[in-house]
Amino acid sequence: MNAPPIIQTRSLAKTYLIGDVRVAALEDVTLAVAEGRFMAVTGASGSGKSTLLNLLGGLDTPSAGTIEVDGALVSAMNREALARYRRFGAGMIFQSFNLVPARTALENVELPLVFSNVDKKERKRRAAELLEKVGLAHRANHRPSQLSGGEQQRVAVARALANGPRLLLADEPTGNLDSRTSREIVGLLAELNRGRRLTVVMVSHEESLVREYAHDVVRLRDGRIVGTESRA
Amino acid sequence: MRFTDAVEFALASLRKRRLRTLLTASGVMIGIGALVSMISFGKGMQKNVTEAFKASDLFTTLMVMPGGADVPSRDPARPRRPAETAGRAGAVLDDAAVAEISQIPGVRTAYPDVSFPALIALEGEEEFRLVQVVPAAVAASNAVRVGWGRAYASDDEEGVVVSRSLARRLGTDEPAAAVGKTLRITSVSIDLGELASLDLAGLFSGKGLPVAREVYDFPIVGVTEITAFGGGPSPVQNDVIIPPGTARRIKRLPITSIWDLFRLRDGRLGYSAASVKLGSLRDLEPVKSRVREMGFTTFALADQFDEITKAFYFMDMILAAVGMIAIVVAALGIVNTMVMSILERFREIGVMKAVGAGDGDIRRIFFFESGTIGLLGGAAGCVLGWAVSLVINRVVNFYMARQGMPDIDYFAFPFWIFLGAVGFSLLVSLVSGIYPARRAARVDPVIALRHD
Ligand SMILES: Nc1ncnc2c1ncn2[C@@H]1O[C@H](COP(=O)(O)OP(=O)(O)O)[C@@H](O)[C@H]1O
Ligand SMILES: [Mg+2]
Repeated sequence: MNAPPIIQTRSLAKTYLIGDVRVAALEDVTLAVAEGRFMAVTGASGSGKSTLLNLLGGLDTPSAGTIEVDGALVSAMNREALARYRRFGAGMIFQSFNLVPARTALENVELPLVFSNVDKKERKRRAAELLEKVGLAHRANHRPSQLSGGEQQRVAVARALANGPRLLLADEPTGNLDSRTSREIVGLLAELNRGRRLTVVMVSHEESLVREYAHDVVRLRDGRIVGTESRA
Repeated sequence: MRFTDAVEFALASLRKRRLRTLLTASGVMIGIGALVSMISFGKGMQKNVTEAFKASDLFTTLMVMPGGADVPSRDPARPRRPAETAGRAGAVLDDAAVAEISQIPGVRTAYPDVSFPALIALEGEEEFRLVQVVPAAVAASNAVRVGWGRAYASDDEEGVVVSRSLARRLGTDEPAAAVGKTLRITSVSIDLGELASLDLAGLFSGKGLPVAREVYDFPIVGVTEITAFGGGPSPVQNDVIIPPGTARRIKRLPITSIWDLFRLRDGRLGYSAASVKLGSLRDLEPVKSRVREMGFTTFALADQFDEITKAFYFMDMILAAVGMIAIVVAALGIVNTMVMSILERFREIGVMKAVGAGDGDIRRIFFFESGTIGLLGGAAGCVLGWAVSLVINRVVNFYMARQGMPDIDYFAFPFWIFLGAVGFSLLVSLVSGIYPARRAARVDPVIALRHD
């Protein structure tokens, strides 16, 4: 782990207020992820994994602490800067795929390029290229409802990479998939991690997949880091 | 995001909810349609009245009254007799004065407003009417619109012009048939010499007035058209007009009101009013000041035109206010549709934000959506307003034709009405979109994407 960290959090905390009760979803999380690594985040349900990923992805803002990604202080960004960070800085995929049902696979992959003002022709070209990279060129004009779970998640991966981020955040990407398809998706992430020097942070419960692909494993319990493992 | 992409996103989303888009746009269409027909009605009235006034020479007619007479005024701050038009008391408007006025440069004709009550009979049917004395030159002008036959040719011709409505009341429905028929005028006269020697005691002691009836027959040479607005705004209002030379030969009461009787008592016989026809509107001010120097009171309708314009402005406001009610309802419809759209697309908004859409991008998509509804509804509203006006116009003219009224366009559609309506509709829809757009932009992606 001698490469400089692409992600560095310090004393990160997130508390939610439910009525009068303060729920600490994340507490004192200090974490570094070196560039080009594949990190897995594990922990029981409710341990704060999604909260951590949302903070890293700029979807949410911390209650305390700092997040630095690629030298930029994400935790201090305003709404507009956060939108730009989500556009270019970090791609995200989710357990429930989150594709736009009315749009075809190609159009879903185009979506981030629309917000980065890429013109239509170039957009189509890049989206087609990305779909080919995830092995779905033949499904470009299908709508999400016409695709299998694994195919939908591949479209989501292509979409997350559209603006060329150096960071991919995956929140239980295999939660809705069978074990064979899960292996394929994690395999795809690992391949992208190898080939493109893409840093991946993935939340997962599946110990076998984690052991097989992750370089680093972070364990969370009740919002705190309770263990980290790394292999070379 | 680019402008064209925002438009495409908005259109795609509207197409997907086609029925709702159509219904919401229909609300806007009805509102804009109501507004368009209301305003075009106001403009139509204004155009008709202004044109009728211009055509009737009312603007180039100056009314002259004896010094000290009351001047009609609708200005509440100055209910009577504005100081600048009131002449000095005592100036008598007699034949010499009228002749002098007619010599003022810019004056085409000046003639006293003389009318007298008489019993009018045509083929047995009879009615009491005021007979107005009008010079031949005026009868031949726009002030009198002869639709059938002709105006009398000289001030001494033995012939009268009657209105179409009088002809009808006297039993001749076809105006052309009235031309050439004989009109019997029965006038009442009082021996003025005897009147002067009467005292009040004599008047009430049962001796009665020294009244005589005279009967005259004249051929009807022309019948006037009925114009659109209550017989038309015209300096000549009466149902029977007669040339002055001919009128002089009729023995009659020289009075039209009780005030004339008092004036008679101090031996200062004058007309209660005279009409002065001008060559053009430019002559109004110089002629007016000359006449006032002579000690007379003047009244020009042209001076009142500002007030007429103000009245139409006020009418427009009221009509627009009625149309606005429909617009407000339509605007609420847009707000409702857009807020519904946010709830339905909650997750999609979250997805767009997660892949990098800024607050501005989301706002723009929603703005364009409501704007498109506004444009569609506005354009359709123009067509609707125009079509409804056309139908109303047809129906009204159908019934008016039965009353013998000519066809009129009650609605006017200057081009700016349509441009203004579409522009206004767009504006209203964008304003309606402000709240939904802001709300959409504020959607928290974490909440929107939290699974299931
Ligand atoms: N928006 C929220 N409001 C209130 N509590 C929340 C919210 N999001 C998460 N939490 C709470 O924070 C804790 C961590 O949640 P989460 O990060 O989703 O856990 P995980 O993804 O590990 O299952 C849980 O106790 C959850 O109930
Ligand atoms: Mg979770």
